[in-house]
Amino acid sequence: MAPRWLVYALVLLAALSVVPFALIARSRASTSAQPHIQLILDMAKQPKLKTQTSNPLFADSRAMRPRVAGTVARGELEEDSAVWSGRDGGNWVTAFPVPVTERLMHRGQERYDIFCAPCHGLAGYGDGPVAKRADALQEGTWTPPSSYHTDLVRGRPVGHLFNTITYGIRNMSEYGSQIPVEDRWAIVLYVRALQRSQDASVGDVPPELRRQLR
Amino acid sequence: MSAEAGGRLFFPRWANLARPALAVALVVVPAYLVLLLAYGASPRTINVGYQPHQPVPYSHALHAGQLGIDCRYCHTTVEKAAFAAVPPTQTCMNCHSKIRAASAKLLPIRESYATGLPVPWVKVHDLPDFVYFDHSAHVRRGVGCVECHGRVDKMEVVAQVHRLSMGWCLDCHRQPDRHLRPPELVTKMEWVPPEDPLVYGRRLREATKINPSTDCWTCHR
Ligand code: HEC
Ligand code: HEC
Ligand code: HEC
Ligand code: HEC
Ligand code: HEC
Ligand code: HEC
Repeated sequence: MAPRWLVYALVLLAALSVVPFALIARSRASTSAQPHIQLILDMAKQPKLKTQTSNPLFADSRAMRPRVAGTVARGELEEDSAVWSGRDGGNWVTAFPVPVTERLMHRGQERYDIFCAPCHGLAGYGDGPVAKRADALQEGTWTPPSSYHTDLVRGRPVGHLFNTITYGIRNMSEYGSQIPVEDRWAIVLYVRALQRSQDASVGDVPPELRRQLR
Repeated sequence: MSAEAGGRLFFPRWANLARPALAVALVVVPAYLVLLLAYGASPRTINVGYQPHQPVPYSHALHAGQLGIDCRYCHTTVEKAAFAAVPPTQTCMNCHSKIRAASAKLLPIRESYATGLPVPWVKVHDLPDFVYFDHSAHVRRGVGCVECHGRVDKMEVVAQVHRLSMGWCLDCHRQPDRHLRPPELVTKMEWVPPEDPLVYGRRLREATKINPSTDCWTCHR
């Protein structure tokens, strides 16, 4: 028979062999802030610069370079001032400078719900979840978002609404960098629809649908 | 025990076991190592659960969960481009110039806003550079964020929950049905199909002719 020490050693070895598995199981069940070790590098990290990566060559370390001042990207030559700025000469445009379609309306609804509803609320009364939370904080720096259903905002020309999105207004910041031009017009269209919907009379409902009203 | 007799070294009797023991060891040890490697180096172990520390204690659970801000408010390029942009500082300042404008937690944001230097967010999901991935191709065809990123709206700090290995990509590309939804609902994290996901997904796939490719050049180009 094998000596006792050898038997013990073998049992100990068998017991220890479970330890790595236990450690791995523990790491699988928890999160780690360490990036994983790449066993085989292949070409996983290439010296090319990808979107939103850093490049120490530049003072601001951005690999993506901002546009050089005075240059115009393809398709962004702001030819039609009514479309691009909501202004015609010195005046706000009052009619939509883009074709008004059902698709534009649906697009507007979707974009409104993404970008405006957090503050202005789904129906535009200024009661979105962010506005409510900010009100509850009572910090004194917060101005409640305007309701769209006031005579002032109802009376704003579409060009002015467009400009409000592009550059912000008073305490509201600009959304021009987040929302492309077509989408801004779509949102203006939807804001107009919201305003109509909260300020409608029976006369606005097509006759064949009036019976459904309660 | 090993005894010395007449100056000769005798092996003890149990030493006869060495040969079969060696044979067993030659089978057991490699098998053990293979198992250990398969378990320890699997993408499930290595990739999942990576949760780097971020420079700002920004919480998706608060912003996307409680406040219900749509993913696309911040990740604006996700439907248009391959890359889902992490928002610029301006986006945070839309609100935080007025809300918690003096919070210490937001100091790096205000600094970045003042200096124009980017906030050094740490990338969580990171495919090898030899893989091509495209968000817009998925999001526009109705693969929800939750399918690949998990319940981000419940995370205080973003962690990786899926393997992002080639096998994982292919599992879905071969059989996408249960992962599909109408494209306008991609950011709704808690959405569940109104019927059996397989049946619902198959109908969607057939109606919109979704056919994810499994050719090598789709992802390696
Ligand atoms: C971060 C919260 C917030 C978001 C998001 C937001 N707004 Fe505002 N908005 C405000 C606040 C605050 C005011 C009131 C500003 C004031 O009175 O100083 C305001 C005012 C307005 C007004 C009234 C301006 C006037 O003519 O007096 C309009 C119109 C408006 N917002 C449209 C929008 C649209 C469209 C969007 C979506 C693209 C949007 N807002 C997104 C906070 C927000
Ligand atoms: C208020 C802005 C904001 C909103 C809304 C938002 N995010 Fe983020 N997201 C960020 C910022 C900032 C980061 C980078 C810091 C980090 O990783 O936490 C980020 C990071 C991420 C990452 C990790 C990216 C990486 O580096 O791999 C994922 C995935 C993500 N967001 C998904 C979502 C999803 C899904 C939603 C919608 C449920 C969402 N986000 C909503 C701001 C936002
Ligand atoms: C649409 C508005 C909005 C946007 C955009 C937004 N936040 Fe917030 N954020 C809030 C609100 C509301 C709170 C909650 C304040 C509270 O109740 O404590 C908050 C809280 C926070 C807090 C906790 C502050 C504290 O002192 O407890 C941090 C950190 C934070 N946000 C970071 C960010 C970052 C980083 C971004 C940009 C990626 C961002 N937020 C974008 C609305 C916003
Ligand atoms: C089919 C799977 C899939 C879907 C669906 C998906 N993502 Fe991703 N996401 C990934 C992968 C894979 C990466 C890592 C990409 C890389 O490293 O090149 C990633 C990375 C990101 C990043 C970091 C920036 C980047 O592009 O590398 C953000 C932010 C993000 N995703 C947000 C979102 C949001 C928001 C949605 C939903 C609108 C979404 N993702 C849907 C798989 C997905
Ligand atoms: C949850 C399901 C799912 C996962 C996971 C997934 N994909 Fe996809 N992928 C799709 C669908 C659906 C399409 C769209 C196919 C179509 O348009 O017919 C697609 C399309 C693509 C395309 C675009 C193909 C083209 O024609 O341009 C690429 C590239 C791609 N996937 C890469 C990846 C990579 C890389 C991964 C893993 C990191 C991945 N996908 C993971 C479902 C998925
Ligand atoms: C749906 C997308 C997709 C398709 C299709 C695809 N791959 Fe991949 N491949 C990946 C991803 C993602 C990785 C990175 C896996 C990782 O990081 O673990 C990868 C990694 C690899 C690697 C490197 C493995 C390593 O760790 O070094 C090779 C080799 C490879 N793929 C070959 C192929 C071949 C050959 C085909 C065609 C039969 C193919 N791939 C098709 C997504 C894809």
